[in-house]
Amino acid sequence: MNADRMMDICMLAGEIMLTYGAETYRVEETLERMAKSAGFKNVHSFVTTTGIFLSFDVEGNDVMQMIRVDDRMQDLNKVSLVNQLSREFVSGLLDGDEAYKKLEEIAKAPMNYSPWLLHIASGVAGGAFSYLFGGNLFDTIPAFIAGFAASFSVVALQEYMKVKFFAEFMSAFLGGAVAILLVLLGLGENLDQVIIGTLMPLVPGVPLTNAVRDLMSGDLIAGVSRGAEAVITALSIATGIALAIALLL
Amino acid sequence: MIVELIFCFMATVAFGVIFNVPYKVIWLGGLIGSVAWFIYSTLPNWDISVIFATAIASLVSATISHFLAKRYRVPVTTFSIPGIIPLVPGSRAYFTMLAFVDGNYIEGLQLGIETMLQAGAIAAGLVFALSVFSFGKGGIGQRYESRRS
Repeated sequence: MNADRMMDICMLAGEIMLTYGAETYRVEETLERMAKSAGFKNVHSFVTTTGIFLSFDVEGNDVMQMIRVDDRMQDLNKVSLVNQLSREFVSGLLDGDEAYKKLEEIAKAPMNYSPWLLHIASGVAGGAFSYLFGGNLFDTIPAFIAGFAASFSVVALQEYMKVKFFAEFMSAFLGGAVAILLVLLGLGENLDQVIIGTLMPLVPGVPLTNAVRDLMSGDLIAGVSRGAEAVITALSIATGIALAIALLL
Repeated sequence: MIVELIFCFMATVAFGVIFNVPYKVIWLGGLIGSVAWFIYSTLPNWDISVIFATAIASLVSATISHFLAKRYRVPVTTFSIPGIIPLVPGSRAYFTMLAFVDGNYIEGLQLGIETMLQAGAIAAGLVFALSVFSFGKGGIGQRYESRRS
């Protein structure tokens, strides 16, 4: 196959996986396997949290390309779709053009669940966690509303704000403010549990898990940077809620 | 307890929706989350520390995730992320922050260390399952070369 074409396929696959929350080792392994199965020698890939490098040997000449990944979102469905596609490509079920077409479809595909369902799910998670962490059934209602508000505001704010961490800070502040106001108005009894439930949907679960996995598989740069992302997210959530408490209580 | 498990199932499935887990396996993530919560909330009744209970719950959920990931041919994070979400020390982290806001630094430090330990226990469980399941695949990050001739 044409080397440029193969490079495009690999880079698109890697970009989708890295953007939507795959671990670094999985991206590296996928790229290397795909390039090797297409018959290229001397395949090397280096993946960090913010970029991908891939090089391989084409008839004595080394081809190398890098790509920068700015956005990091959470969409495990796309990761597993690309995983499946790379498996089919390696076993020869797909040729290059089909694979590229499918990858473009995956990249453009909308989320499995509509945005409203996502916000409602955040509310459900908030309510359920406020119960699990020691609240009562009455506390689930304000936690549901506040979780919904936090999720809604994080999605809405990310459209306008270039700095991801500030959007998380603001949405934690808004969610916390809604929770405090609802409890002050008499809906819900345990303020602490309501606030904890509200914040749970904002917890950076994917970066945390991936950071541990990356560090343990020896990808030290990727692991440390992803861990830093998770820590900053957690800190901005804590600051947002602290501001809400300081202002309203 | 049963109500708690149902709530935990709901919460974990909701997290599956937030992370956009594929349709066909989302309920399995909920089951793993419920199992993790069951272990985490039952073991402290038998004089086992919360940190250790967290580590065991995380280990069990990561192990189940690895098995199911092989069975359903999806990346293991699809199961392990929803599985460990109920163990995340959200409540301790919140009270840590509250203590610091109130100026109780000693109490804040104590709670903060407990939070870190619980997070570390989750990581330990994940890593233990990972190292068991990558057995024999050739080492990475090894300190000593074992195959010297």
